[in-house]
Amino acid sequence: MVQNKQKEIMGRDSILKAIKQHKPDLLPIPEIDGARFDDDVNLLDIFKHNVALVGGSIKEVDKALIDIEIKKQFPHAENIVALNETSTLGTISVNKQTDPHELATIDLAIVNGAFGVAENGAVWVSEKESIVRVLPFISNDLVIILLKEQLVLHMLQAYHKIATRDRNFGVFISGPSKTADIEQCLVIGAQGAMSLTILLV
Amino acid sequence: MSHAEKATIFNKNEAKVNWHDKALWYVREKRDNAAHGVKEWEYLRDLASAIKANVLSDLDTYLVEFEANALKNGIKIHWASDAEEHNAIIGKILDDNKAEKVVKSKSMLTEECHLNPYLEAKGIEVVDTDLGEYIVQIAKETPSHIVLPAIHKTKEEVDELFQEHLGTKPSNGNPEYLTNEARKHLRGKFLKADVAITGVNFAIADTGGFVVCTNEGNADMGSHLANVHIASMGIEKIIPKEAHLGIFLRLLARSATGQPITTYSSHFNKPAEGKEMHIVIVDNGRTEQLSREDFRASLHCIRCGACMNTCPIYRRSGGHSYDATIPGPIGSILSPGKDLTKHSSLPFASTLCGSCSNVCPVKINIHEQLYKWRQIIVKDIKQPMVKKSILKIAASVLAKPKIYDFAGKSARFMLKHAPRFMIYNKLNAWGKARELPEIKNENFDQWYKINRKK
Amino acid sequence: MKVGLFIPCYINQLYPQVAIATLELLEKLGVDVYYPKGQTCCGQPLGNSGYEGDAKGSCQVFVENFKEYDYIVGPSGSCIYHVKKHFDIIEQTPEVVKVRNNAYELCEFIVKILGKTDLGASFPHKVGLHKSCHGLRGLHLGSCSERMDPPFSTEEDLLNNVKGLELMSLTRKDECCGFGGTFSVFEEAISVKMGKDRIQDHLDNNVEVITGADHSCLMHLEGLINRNKQPLRVMHIAEILNSSI
Repeated sequence: MVQNKQKEIMGRDSILKAIKQHKPDLLPIPEIDGARFDDDVNLLDIFKHNVALVGGSIKEVDKALIDIEIKKQFPHAENIVALNETSTLGTISVNKQTDPHELATIDLAIVNGAFGVAENGAVWVSEKESIVRVLPFISNDLVIILLKEQLVLHMLQAYHKIATRDRNFGVFISGPSKTADIEQCLVIGAQGAMSLTILLV
Repeated sequence: MSHAEKATIFNKNEAKVNWHDKALWYVREKRDNAAHGVKEWEYLRDLASAIKANVLSDLDTYLVEFEANALKNGIKIHWASDAEEHNAIIGKILDDNKAEKVVKSKSMLTEECHLNPYLEAKGIEVVDTDLGEYIVQIAKETPSHIVLPAIHKTKEEVDELFQEHLGTKPSNGNPEYLTNEARKHLRGKFLKADVAITGVNFAIADTGGFVVCTNEGNADMGSHLANVHIASMGIEKIIPKEAHLGIFLRLLARSATGQPITTYSSHFNKPAEGKEMHIVIVDNGRTEQLSREDFRASLHCIRCGACMNTCPIYRRSGGHSYDATIPGPIGSILSPGKDLTKHSSLPFASTLCGSCSNVCPVKINIHEQLYKWRQIIVKDIKQPMVKKSILKIAASVLAKPKIYDFAGKSARFMLKHAPRFMIYNKLNAWGKARELPEIKNENFDQWYKINRKK
Repeated sequence: MKVGLFIPCYINQLYPQVAIATLELLEKLGVDVYYPKGQTCCGQPLGNSGYEGDAKGSCQVFVENFKEYDYIVGPSGSCIYHVKKHFDIIEQTPEVVKVRNNAYELCEFIVKILGKTDLGASFPHKVGLHKSCHGLRGLHLGSCSERMDPPFSTEEDLLNNVKGLELMSLTRKDECCGFGGTFSVFEEAISVKMGKDRIQDHLDNNVEVITGADHSCLMHLEGLINRNKQPLRVMHIAEILNSSI
């Protein structure tokens, strides 16, 4: 044990020493001229287009009608975790202590998205929204509720938006889980959620 | 076996070569379309390249900063000088946790370190959970592409493999059915795993966090279910600031598959309550590559695979012809730095067309580095006598105009008057499938002398 | 303006008609053109094979031959690229720098320096343009399909002004033909396959004549076309630009 620890410390020092010895003279970090990426476009249109492009479905709904819409789309869902404050469809409650393995049989998860990114249809979901990290992945289907004014154009703006968050775990989700590993044929539903529905309120 | 020999074997089945070429060219076209949709694509590449150059010039500072921030967040950091140390560190974490079952998501570094055989020898079950990697794992092969590990397999071949290993029904290679069967099988593995191992796409110095990108969600399924998450990263995966992800994530998936972003871009900063998170920072030859001024920029690589998809040689020779963990153009400049003798044919497996450098999202001058490796290889590695002497003679002839004039004339005379069997024989690689140019009566020098008097 | 005509070794020996067309074309355009005696080779085959160090002699011969000219013009993108890019192995005397800076591929010289695109040529055929890699990605004779730059093409600007010529578009606009110098013999299988695929693209798009600004690629394609007896002709772009009915 002690020996192993010793070896690791040596590894650290020898790596850092080798880098110091071999690295080139300091080169500057480039200034990023964000204005060059500005574009006068309709964020909502682009976002909707890209969510569809990445295999998700997206719909604008009245906040009061969220549950009716979800019921319509997932009539057979039984085990539901609903983490949106207006939805009453939840059948299973979760908290920070929930064993993630218990969520293996979840049919549907309804979570809030923090904001969306127009250029790629991604939505930011952090531990604050999903409570249990594995939830948006392990659930068979995933519904994200997103305020439609919460959109940015591109990823540089996205990182500006989450710059001061409480950092634990967070994920940009762009469409449902997918793979093209068998002969480049796109198949929706690999190891994560089989479908992604974004409801804009 | 050299790349040329392996490529010749691959080319015995021309239909398969065409299929392989088209599959990858399709990915290249998707990449082009995706890039066209981005305002200031070339500016993004410039920025990404400059950020990576800055990283390499201050790498030790960034690594120390990263380590301090990660430790503050409760992540455990390990350092490995080489593959052996990397594997031993992971082995020890598994022992400490009495782990028997491991799920892995894609990590070229663990391939490079041959982690799977090491763990298997310890009696640990390791399952690769990326579908493509799972396919090559059960086929007992290695990935032939870094983003599309099973691109060399047809769906019918996958069908047969799954029948044998998963007990699936024959489906004529139905991708939906096969993917779904793999999903069911891998669910069980995720739920029972003690430890999840992932790679790292980006490690962020100013936050101590790291990002893992997948389309399948397998890295998240593994890491959020298992009690222990181990992430392996090469020292060059560092970027200075989290804000820089806004550059790299715009480039990565578009370059790799033509998607605007991967389905999941997961940001790990702290272990979940009651769980462990480890990062193994690995050198394994990278500091040596850093010392080589001409080849340093190869460490910019973000493993998108775009250079493979665009490379006309890769597309027609298959990833396995490179006999290296990382195939294709980028592999051909990385591998010689690890083992010059073993990989000495790789820098010659290129026409230096430059397409790789043009698609590279971090602007690695790949084709220029191939040229530079060639200069080193002919000095350091014994060359076939014939090749060497022909080129040496050529060099001395070309430096002497009079001898050149005579040599040119006599060569033309030979080509024109020698019998066909003397020119088109087994020793003449040109003439196997190609005619030689028709020889004219006079060369331009002679024509000029007669027709232009200045 | 004194122009030195650079005729690459293989063109001198094997394709004198290309050299003649280049010379005649430049003369037609009113250029004061000279052909220095004692030209050998730019050294590219040595450099690309890893024997760059042995090519110093041929670099020196090249500079010696061309140092007195305002421009050096040659009908081969890859040779010009080699001069510009890889003559860094010899001492950078003012003469060497001058030669490297003023070396031009023929099409680029005509369009950029002479400022002409309509050369009064006539060639009533369906033509496919092979954009050789060193000219395209090395000398930037045109925009590359990989990059998101505004589209342009020096050779197309010239060909589009040739009377009767129909420029056919290709499925893969600028894929390598697989020649690659010694690559063509040391990686014979892939080289041949790449060449075959390029030719098929031209055939699929009803091309009658394949042209380009680099005859080494064309030599490779021609070798395959002749062996397989395919209904295609191969001509250097200088021959087309120099042709009239």
